[in-house]
Amino acid sequence: MDKISIPIGPQHPLLKEPLSMMVDISGEKVLGGSLRLGYVHRGIERLAQQRTYVQNIHLIERICGICSHVHTTTYCYAVEALLGIEIPPRAQYIRALMCELERIHSHLLWLGILAKHIGLDTIFMHTWHDREMVLDIMEEVSGGRISHAANQIGGVRFDLDEEKGEMIRKILIKLHSQVEGLLDVIESEPAAIARTKGVAPISPDLIKAYGVVGPIARASGVDVDMRRDASLPPYDQLEVKVITHSDGDAWARTFVRVEETRVSLNLCETIIREMPRGDVVVHAPRRVPEGEVIIRSEAPRGELFYYLRSDGSDKPARLKVRTPTLAALSLLPVQLSEINVADIPVVLAGVDLCIACADR
Amino acid sequence: MVTPIKLEDLCAEIKTNAGCQCEVYDGVHGDHTLSITPDQLKPVIDVIFKTFDYCHLSAITVQQRKNQPDEIEVFYNFWSGSGFSLLLRLPMKSAKLPSIISTIPGADFYEREAAEMFGIEFTGRDETPPLLLPDEWDQGPPFIGEKEKNG
Repeated sequence: MDKISIPIGPQHPLLKEPLSMMVDISGEKVLGGSLRLGYVHRGIERLAQQRTYVQNIHLIERICGICSHVHTTTYCYAVEALLGIEIPPRAQYIRALMCELERIHSHLLWLGILAKHIGLDTIFMHTWHDREMVLDIMEEVSGGRISHAANQIGGVRFDLDEEKGEMIRKILIKLHSQVEGLLDVIESEPAAIARTKGVAPISPDLIKAYGVVGPIARASGVDVDMRRDASLPPYDQLEVKVITHSDGDAWARTFVRVEETRVSLNLCETIIREMPRGDVVVHAPRRVPEGEVIIRSEAPRGELFYYLRSDGSDKPARLKVRTPTLAALSLLPVQLSEINVADIPVVLAGVDLCIACADR
Repeated sequence: MVTPIKLEDLCAEIKTNAGCQCEVYDGVHGDHTLSITPDQLKPVIDVIFKTFDYCHLSAITVQQRKNQPDEIEVFYNFWSGSGFSLLLRLPMKSAKLPSIISTIPGADFYEREAAEMFGIEFTGRDETPPLLLPDEWDQGPPFIGEKEKNG
């Protein structure tokens, strides 16, 4: 049968952000594909060299509309490492709380998209409703639903009082039972199983060769999680249960993300319960001494890599950001080959695309 | 959990199996960094990927220092239980490196980004089409200063 090339994107109902794909098919089989990025490239790394360390927090926060907080957290830890300052333990815990809330809302958002793609509209509505509860918490504590402006160099911008802690705890209890229900659906709903089991499996060797990280890697049995492995505070004092699965298919990727949502809910409860008392910020100088640092953190989609170099001025000499989606995207053409055309949305959803992150 | 890599083990493996003497660069806080030459890149990467049970390429970080305008620095940043990097210094006027996508196919996007942002030529692979910049971009690599671009 003849080969036909189908363009998908940069504007397409399947895509929530612009990405151009050329998918080659023969009959109902996908032969392979290629990608073109750059439709939301903003030159953030270059722009960062023209702004001060403080101004860059606002720029970095806008790399992504889903995991904005983990970007500024990683950036601030990098600057603080060069400054040689340690932020107060309470600030570390507040940073981690926001990171975990972000992971919960990111995974719920993702599950809704997958459910929509495979025709489970009820699950889509439930997950997005539940995600709203997380966004409500984030708005209540920071003032922003998407860009929280929680971080500053030297700590965080706000504190949590008892009342807010109690409000968060109550919502987390509600979310726990909701997520249990979602896990039941993933494990027992015939339509969910039929559309995801055995679809586009990825072997651990492919994960390693393509440098894929995060839930996709863990769903293929690769036991890597930067919260535990890179020991950024306060995760060095918290027990992070790392969820893995050996199947490597779309179902395993779903299972891992839903289980990780449960882990994050538990972590949030632990963080609130064990949050140390004290200040939330220390004084940080505007000028950063000469030096280079690499910081890795665990974003909702996996390892987030920051390289920062200072030449002693008040602006970075170089800031390099490698987001987890960029690694996952490089494997996408391989994942697409040999699948059925009808499974393209499932494979795309499985990647948990964040094009704004990949483009920067 | 991946067992963190030890710097002395890494150097010993590279010396034994790739025949290269590594120089430790201690300028980067957070990752062990080894300085190598461009001709050592492929053998060293082969050794790294064959020796350790799990290792992935996190990024290729490229930069130009103001006080060394005739040089480009390229870091290959890896993770294998802990972070480590390979550092290569290239002359600005003929910034060439062998492509590593035959060993690490995931390096494709990173090489393409390094090519368009810094003008590095990666040999031994197909042409590197633009990844992030527009097709009609004609102003040269955005990270390279005007002086260096014009020689």
